[in-house]
Amino acid sequence: MDDYLPILILIILGFLFAALSFVGSAMLAPKKRPTAAKIAPYECGIVPTIEPPTRFPVRFYLVAMIFIIFDIEIVFLYPFAVIFRQLRSFGLVEVLVFAAVVFVSFLFLVSNGALTWGPAKQLVRAMPSRTSESTIARITAGPGGPGGYRDPSGPGPGGTRTTDPVPPITGDPAAPAGPVRAA
Amino acid sequence: MSTLLFAAASGAYGAKIHTPHIDYLSILPILIMMGGAVLLVTASSLFRQVMGVGSATFITVGTAIATLVAALFQWDHVVTHGAKVTIAGSIAYDGFSVFIQIVVAIAMLLTALIADGYLKREGIDGPEFHVLAMLSASGAMLMGSANDLIVIFLGLEILSIALYVLAAFNHKRAESGEAALKYFVLGAFSSAVFVYGIALVYGATGSSNLPQIADYLSKNVVASNGVLLAGLALLLVGFGFKIAAVPFHMWSPDVYQGSPSPVTGLMAAIAKAGAFAALLRVFVSSFGTLRADWQPIVWGIAILSLVVGAFAALVQKDIKRMMAYSSINHAGFILLGVQAATVRGVSASLYYLFAYMFMVIGTFAVITVVARDGDSGHQLTDYRGLGKRQPLLALAFAVLLLAQAGAPFTTGFLAKFTVVAAAVDIHSYALAVIAMASAAVAAFFYLRVVVAMYSPVGAVGDLSDLDAGELDAGPISVASPANAPVSVHGQNDAVASLSVLTEGPPTSAVADRMVRVPGLTTVAIGLSVGFTIVFGIIPGPIVDFAHQATLLFT
Repeated sequence: MDDYLPILILIILGFLFAALSFVGSAMLAPKKRPTAAKIAPYECGIVPTIEPPTRFPVRFYLVAMIFIIFDIEIVFLYPFAVIFRQLRSFGLVEVLVFAAVVFVSFLFLVSNGALTWGPAKQLVRAMPSRTSESTIARITAGPGGPGGYRDPSGPGPGGTRTTDPVPPITGDPAAPAGPVRAA
Repeated sequence: MSTLLFAAASGAYGAKIHTPHIDYLSILPILIMMGGAVLLVTASSLFRQVMGVGSATFITVGTAIATLVAALFQWDHVVTHGAKVTIAGSIAYDGFSVFIQIVVAIAMLLTALIADGYLKREGIDGPEFHVLAMLSASGAMLMGSANDLIVIFLGLEILSIALYVLAAFNHKRAESGEAALKYFVLGAFSSAVFVYGIALVYGATGSSNLPQIADYLSKNVVASNGVLLAGLALLLVGFGFKIAAVPFHMWSPDVYQGSPSPVTGLMAAIAKAGAFAALLRVFVSSFGTLRADWQPIVWGIAILSLVVGAFAALVQKDIKRMMAYSSINHAGFILLGVQAATVRGVSASLYYLFAYMFMVIGTFAVITVVARDGDSGHQLTDYRGLGKRQPLLALAFAVLLLAQAGAPFTTGFLAKFTVVAAAVDIHSYALAVIAMASAAVAAFFYLRVVVAMYSPVGAVGDLSDLDAGELDAGPISVASPANAPVSVHGQNDAVASLSVLTEGPPTSAVADRMVRVPGLTTVAIGLSVGFTIVFGIIPGPIVDFAHQATLLFT
């Protein structure tokens, strides 16, 4: 029965931590909640019936991914460090191989722009190459015309690259041509 | 936990840990496949700007060929030096494992060739697809070599997790994401069931090592074997999900339909190969002494898979759903060999897996190109008139479908014959009769596609207007030209004439309806058709190959 004592203590500690978290959050959190009207999104004075979709940069997920990668590495490195002497060169080689593979995944994330902040330039790939001729053709066609540029006051957030109205030369066959998208 | 850590820390000068001797030759193909994946992800990260789909395909094809060469070298080594258990008993190095490595390596090679054209057509970034496919293949290979339940689980997860992502790979199709989510949720659930099975078996026998389990069961009679049988049942559920056998098949039509077509081919080939390899090794070599307990259950699952697969496929309008039910039917056939649990049954199942791999990947190669941009043309009506427009493509498809139906002079016929013979061998006559009857039913829906391809374009309407009269005339007139020319020309000519087709000028009337067949896909289809026909006519080499690929312990 003695063997189960640590488990029992662990369970009690687990419950204590959960209980303390609730109590602490109730005590420390600001008492004054904003009213429903305050947290509602402003929409020209009309009371919104549904929550509007919130935009959330996917880059935050990539940051979380970087955390997960190194978290997993630590999970394995810590027990290794404890019995590092007994495992000798075998363990060292295994851990080095493991660390190298983990590092490759980090490399992949960085190459995908996980650490690139600011306007997302690297995240947009496979776009048609723009030349001066294509730009001239686009401008002369005028707004709304075939191949014409998009009305700057038109809808759609984001940079001009992602909503480039020039029909792609290669790639995305499902994307509609410029005017359709601008309308 | 804390006491464990303290004990380990104080033992720094005490207890010696025996590190296993690593026999690198026994896992060489797996290492090459995984190494290729890591190399490709590194190269694509460092040289993002210059790496295109083409170079990723090049590295993948190179890796697959290197894996194949390593596996063939292993085969030679196993035949001359004999089979053994390596790496602390966790890896079995025998003909059976090498056979699975070869099957998976070829599947990877063909899929890389097909995926190249698909990725370029759909405008999807290449490297990640190939990386995931190679990792998935390495998982299937690990399942084939695993000699320990935990290692089987590792292989299963490496195989599955990569496949979940691959199923979602065409982010422009909503169905792709849906398929991935369904596959992921149900797959994770079945993995959990599988692990619980491992735990129960470990609890009942005191080991997760397959030969040790067999050893324990042969020396002890388990008086109250409830835990052991429950563990066995849960393992069977886990495997049943992966091979899409009937009570656990619900995911497969949706996932097959939604996944990108080359992924569906890969999924059908390697997930089945890996899971059946592990299933055979666990049930035949570890639980061989308990076969009286599990044989009736496998018998029932086999019959359900055969019947449900054949009849449900009849009413499908979407060709990928039809192929999903057809793969369920095939799983039932392979289960015939498992149910036999004899040396002959094992080699019949292996032969079936090998033949099926070529047939299904070739079939999905044709489905990939016929689906056109957007991977959406999967209705039977899309195949109408294909025989007129692109006779060689239609011919290749007809050969592959007829082979799956079990037409003579193809590997499909031999595969069905060997498993049925194995079932007859242990006097499972009812099972053999049901299998043959289901093959006859299955022939109907394969022929329906063939008839659609060779029916005139003008005939509008869906395939439900194909009445029995049209089908009666169909098989004979179609089957003979399907078999004769390719068998005369041989494999290389078939490839050459297929590529002539892709470059030839399209006929004016139907020019806009011609589908483009990329060169590498042509090679893959040619290889599949060539293998199916050549080794259907000269069955000796592959049958002997499968016969020699025996389990280390039976």
